[in-house]
Parts: sequence; C-alpha cells; structure tokens
Amino acid sequence: MIYPSTQAPTLHHYRPTNTTVSFTVSTRRPATTLTARLLSYAQVAARVLIGSLILLLFRAKWKQHVARGNHLTYSDWTLTSAAYWIATRAEWRWLAPVGLLGLWLVVRRGYTEESLLVLRGLGIQTSSSSNTYLTTSTTRFIPTTQIQDIFIHEAFKGFEVKFYLVIVIEGEEDVLVVFPNLLPKRQILEEVWRGARSCLYEPKS
Amino acid sequence: MPYNIAMISDFFFPQPGGVESHIYQLSTKLIDRGHKVIIVTHAYEGRTGIRYLTNGLKVYHVPFFVIYRESTFPTVFSFFPIFRNIVIRERIEIVHGHASLSSLCHEAILHARTMGLRTVFTDHSLFGFADAASILTNKLLKFTLSDVDHVICVSHTCKENTVLRASLDPLMVSVIPNAVVAENFRPLNYPTNLTDGFLTSPTEIRPPHPPSHHLGPHDTITIIVISRLFYNKGTDLLIAAIPRILAAHPNVRFIIAGSGPKAIDLEQMLERNVLQDRVEMLGSIRHEEVRDVMVRGHIYLHPSLTEAFGTVIVEAASCGLYVVCTRVGGIPEVLPAHMTTFAKPEEDDIVAATSQAIERMRSNKIRTERFHDQVKVMYSWTDVARRTERVYDGISGVLSEEEFYGYRDAGSAAGWSATRGRAGVQSFALIDRLKRYYGCGIWAGKLFCLCVIVDYLLFVFLELWAPRANIDIARNWPKKRQQSVEPSAPVEQRQEESELARKRSTRHREKRREP
Repeated sequence: MIYPSTQAPTLHHYRPTNTTVSFTVSTRRPATTLTARLLSYAQVAARVLIGSLILLLFRAKWKQHVARGNHLTYSDWTLTSAAYWIATRAEWRWLAPVGLLGLWLVVRRGYTEESLLVLRGLGIQTSSSSNTYLTTSTTRFIPTTQIQDIFIHEAFKGFEVKFYLVIVIEGEEDVLVVFPNLLPKRQILEEVWRGARSCLYEPKS
Repeated sequence: MPYNIAMISDFFFPQPGGVESHIYQLSTKLIDRGHKVIIVTHAYEGRTGIRYLTNGLKVYHVPFFVIYRESTFPTVFSFFPIFRNIVIRERIEIVHGHASLSSLCHEAILHARTMGLRTVFTDHSLFGFADAASILTNKLLKFTLSDVDHVICVSHTCKENTVLRASLDPLMVSVIPNAVVAENFRPLNYPTNLTDGFLTSPTEIRPPHPPSHHLGPHDTITIIVISRLFYNKGTDLLIAAIPRILAAHPNVRFIIAGSGPKAIDLEQMLERNVLQDRVEMLGSIRHEEVRDVMVRGHIYLHPSLTEAFGTVIVEAASCGLYVVCTRVGGIPEVLPAHMTTFAKPEEDDIVAATSQAIERMRSNKIRTERFHDQVKVMYSWTDVARRTERVYDGISGVLSEEEFYGYRDAGSAAGWSATRGRAGVQSFALIDRLKRYYGCGIWAGKLFCLCVIVDYLLFVFLELWAPRANIDIARNWPKKRQQSVEPSAPVEQRQEESELARKRSTRHREKRREP
C-alpha cells in the first residue's frame, strides 16, 4: 500500500547529448497520469507519517522509562497523549520489535532500479539502487581505457538460463555484470548494448 | 525441412572418446544441412556455462553432480526445470540422446516426451544380459525406450543387442554407422594436392593412384595395435599371440599404443620373452596422433572381444593398413572382405590369421594404397547426417509411415502399434504413454508409471510456476547462405579445411573466465 506499484523491469533511456546516454532499468511503474502522481505523493506522505508516529511512540516510551514509575499521562486529545497512552500499556519487548519492523518497512524502497551511464571519452558508470531510502546506491565507474569489451552472454542461474550484459575490464579476473539484480530480458539488454556501443565508440568515418 | 535439435549426452568434449566425437561430427554436419543443433551435457572441470563451438554449435554445460566416470547422478526429476527452460528458449523440436550409460540422456528423453517433443536415442555400445550391472542398465534402458520415437544403432549387431535389451520393435530401430573424417587419416605419400587450397575446378582433380609399394621378402612388416588395454579390448589375446607371431616371422615388428590396466601384463610378457627390441610400446596417445602412428605400419591388429562398431579399424583402413580383427560384435559389418582377415577370438586363430595376413602382404596381393579412397566413399559424416535427417523426417511425420518403415499392410500394423497415432508417430497422450510403460514388468511397470505421472505433474507445476511467456527466446546463430545444390566433394573438403583452421584459432584464444 505504501510502496510504488511495480511491474516487470522496463527500460528508460535518456540521451541529453550525442556523447552521453543513460539507461535505467526499473521495476517501478512510472507515474504518468495525474491520479498516479497524486497517489505516489500520498504514499510518500503516508510513509513520513507512519515513520514519525513510530518515533514519537519510542520517545514517549523512553520518557516513561526515564521517569520510572510515576506515569506521565496527558489527558487531552493530542497525538502526544495518544502516544503516552499506548506507551503505558505496551512493554518494551513488544514495542521495540514491532516498532523497528515498522520503521524498516517505511524506509524500504520496494522496487529496484539499476542504471548504466555511458560518457564518450570518459567511461561507463553502473549503479544499483539500495534496498532502503537511507543508504545510497552502489555505483562503479570504469574509465574508457580499461574497458576491453561489452557483450551479452548467457549463464545458468538457479533453474533457468538468463541473458546478461557484461563489461570486460582490463586487469581484472572477473567481468562486471551490468544490471546484476534485475537481469532484464534479452530485448532490453540488446537495446542497451547497441546504445552503449554506439555511444562509447565513435562511429567509424 | 530444418529442425531444432538438442543432442543430449553426459559425454562430450573436453573428454576424449568415440561418443563425444560422434556427437560433434554429426552436429556439425547437421548444421551444414541447415538445421539448428545445440548440445546439452554436464559441466566439466574448467568447462562450465554456455559455450559456442565451431559453426555456431552451442553447448550447455549444465552444472550437475558427477558420480562415476563422468556420468551424472541419476536424479530423475531435478533436471526437468532447467531442461524445460533450455528447450523453450531454444525452441527445440527433437531431442536426440546419446549413449546408454548417460543418465542425463535418459532423463531428457523422459522429460521431452512429457513436454510433447520427438525423441531419438542413439546407442553406441553393446551390453551383456547376465551380470547385475547389465540387468540394471537394461531395465533403465527399457524404461527410457518404452516411449521413444526412434532408436539409432551404430551397427546391425548393436541393433540386435538393443532390440533384445529394451524389448523394442525392430522396425523402430535404424542402423546408421559411425564415420571417420577421412582427410585426417591419409596414408603416407598420399597426393595432397586435393586439399592444398587452390581448387580450380572439380574436373581437374583426378588424383593419380599412389604408387603401390612392393614389399620384398626380407622387408620388415610392422603390425600396429592401438587400443585401450582393457580386458574387453582383448589385451590378453594379444599378450598370448605376440610371442608366437614374432617367433614364426623374423622380420615382423609390433607397435602398441594405448594404456590401461593390462599394460603391466603386456610389459611382463615382453620382459619374459625378451622382445623389447621388436615391440615398441608408445603408451597412451592423443586422437590427433593416431594417424601418425598408423602410417608407420602395414597391418592393423584388432583383437577386441566385444565392439559395437570399431571406428578404429575404419581409421586404420583409411590409413592404408590391412586389418586383422576378431569376428565379434559389429566388426564384420564394418569393412569389405578384401581389407580384412577375420579370426575367432582365440589365441590360435589370431596367430593363424595374422600369419596369413603377413603372407598376403609379402606376396603383394593386397592393394592397400587404394583403401583410403574406398573408405572415403564408404564412410562420411555428411552421409550419416543425411540418414539421421531422414529419421527425423520419419518421426515427425514428414515421411509417410510406408515410406519411412518401408512396409505396410493393414493387417500386420494392428499387431503391435496399438499405441501409435497418426502416420506411425508415437502419440503424446498421457494414457498412451502409461500403457507403454506399464508393460515393462510387474513391479517396474508400476514404478515407471508412477515416475511418468510425477513427471507430468511436475510439468504442469512448472508451467504455472515459470510460465513460458517469461522465458527469453535465444537468438539463432547467423546462418551461412544455403547451398541449394548438393555440395560436391571438393567444396566439402574446402569446408572441412576452413573448419579445421577455425578450430585451431579458437584453441589459441586467450582464456576468459565467466562470472
């Protein structure tokens, strides 16, 4: 409910100049209509709200814990008093795990997004989104001079055979897999491969 | 009509051997004929994942647990998900399994029938009926072959053996022999202008027969033996016969190549009789070196006790050697009478036959220099591929039943083909398949039926769990332009030459690891 709606990985590419292209594969459904956009804002708002409520609850419980015995109670109808009301009745051993779980669910991203940025003359940057909103995405930059090849191959993964796009890096034993978590379909990979090659290497004149 | 074919066997390169090269050569020639062929085998040390060989031959090295002599552990159902994935992504229509000791092949045939594909099985070996291992293997073979569309054997003896072991209808078993790449087995001094590159026109190539070499009465005759030194290859016969042959004929030498558990007995015999200067032991040699060893001799001795086909004697004849061999298994079918002397598989007869062969060589009655051209006409992989293609046509109903099986009157048809559907092809209906399996034995029949039902349920489950629509279709290897006419001999040779060149270049490619 509080997550963006997802779908099978789709490709978006963005090409500001002839020498720069960015490919993004994402499982998030892009918000195109007004309602979808409003819904996504509402989802963000709901996350913030739930997150701050949990923090408030923790704060109330902590205050009671420090105060030892003389229960701090508020008798008016505010959020703070409601928090204290719950805090007096819930024990730490229930409150802590449930609260932490709630916090984790709130900061969880809920979709995966991986991208490949190609800059002619400079190199390639890959990035994979992190699981939560708190941590940054993992990125890696490979200068053009170190790129030996880019190709698509197949491999066994679990009980199936998957296509993958790899970059062969000079001086490294292992190749670098692009979009390692999503492993999108062949059509997407081929489009990225063509685009990346045409952008990375200047057309032969 | 081009097919998408999957060759499935536990045995494939990098492991050397007859089945391995059979699969490779057949696949290459089928690709030349316009089909799409992939090979599925298990992962070898240092050979995993998906590879391409010459001519776009794709090899899937499925990661599996190997138990004994490169055979995988028979886990009946665990192969199914990945097999289904491969079949769907490569759009396979025909599954062709090889070698009866390969559990991967048996499983694949079972799953392929469940998925509604045509299946062919090629048997490469002869088996006994008496010992425990054979009984088990035969039961397994019966299980798989209860529901297979067609079986190919490498010789008529092998066919007889397989038909008995698996209780098959002889009509659904074809005999397609092995072949040799004759160009790799040329005799010494053979005119090589044929394949040296610049071919101008086919009419110009009329090779002069190589001059026949006359053996004088005191020239040395060399006898070659190339075999793995195992009991079933007749090494004991060889050990018994060598001293007697050498005693009777002073100007005779032996060259023995190969290794195995019997090598030590052979060496002991040499020491006991002090024959080291007349018998040369080379140890094990690679397949590429076989020709170089063979051309050093005049006679090839093959004392095997059992043999389904015996490719090596074809190779020997192709190198221009006169062949002395035992009359066992499929060997008598392999070469015409003027190239061979047969012996019973016993010591006295082998000595007699070898002596006879030596006499014939000395009297210069045998034109061994013509053997190469004759063998080249008899055995070619192109021909094997053509005949295999006919089998594919037959099982997929392109050829009519009458044309394929070469007979038909309505009366005899009813006798055994109760489960056959349209035009003599096996029906895929589960109930028909169960009927075929049920006849395998009192307990085995029920067990097999259970396996088939579980397999079917697994298939239904997989269709829901990993829908076909989500499986990427692999791209085909870009095809060479189609040859509309039947390729004539020189063109074919040129192709083979270029294949060789390509093979060499890929071998030198630098190592690249896969993630």
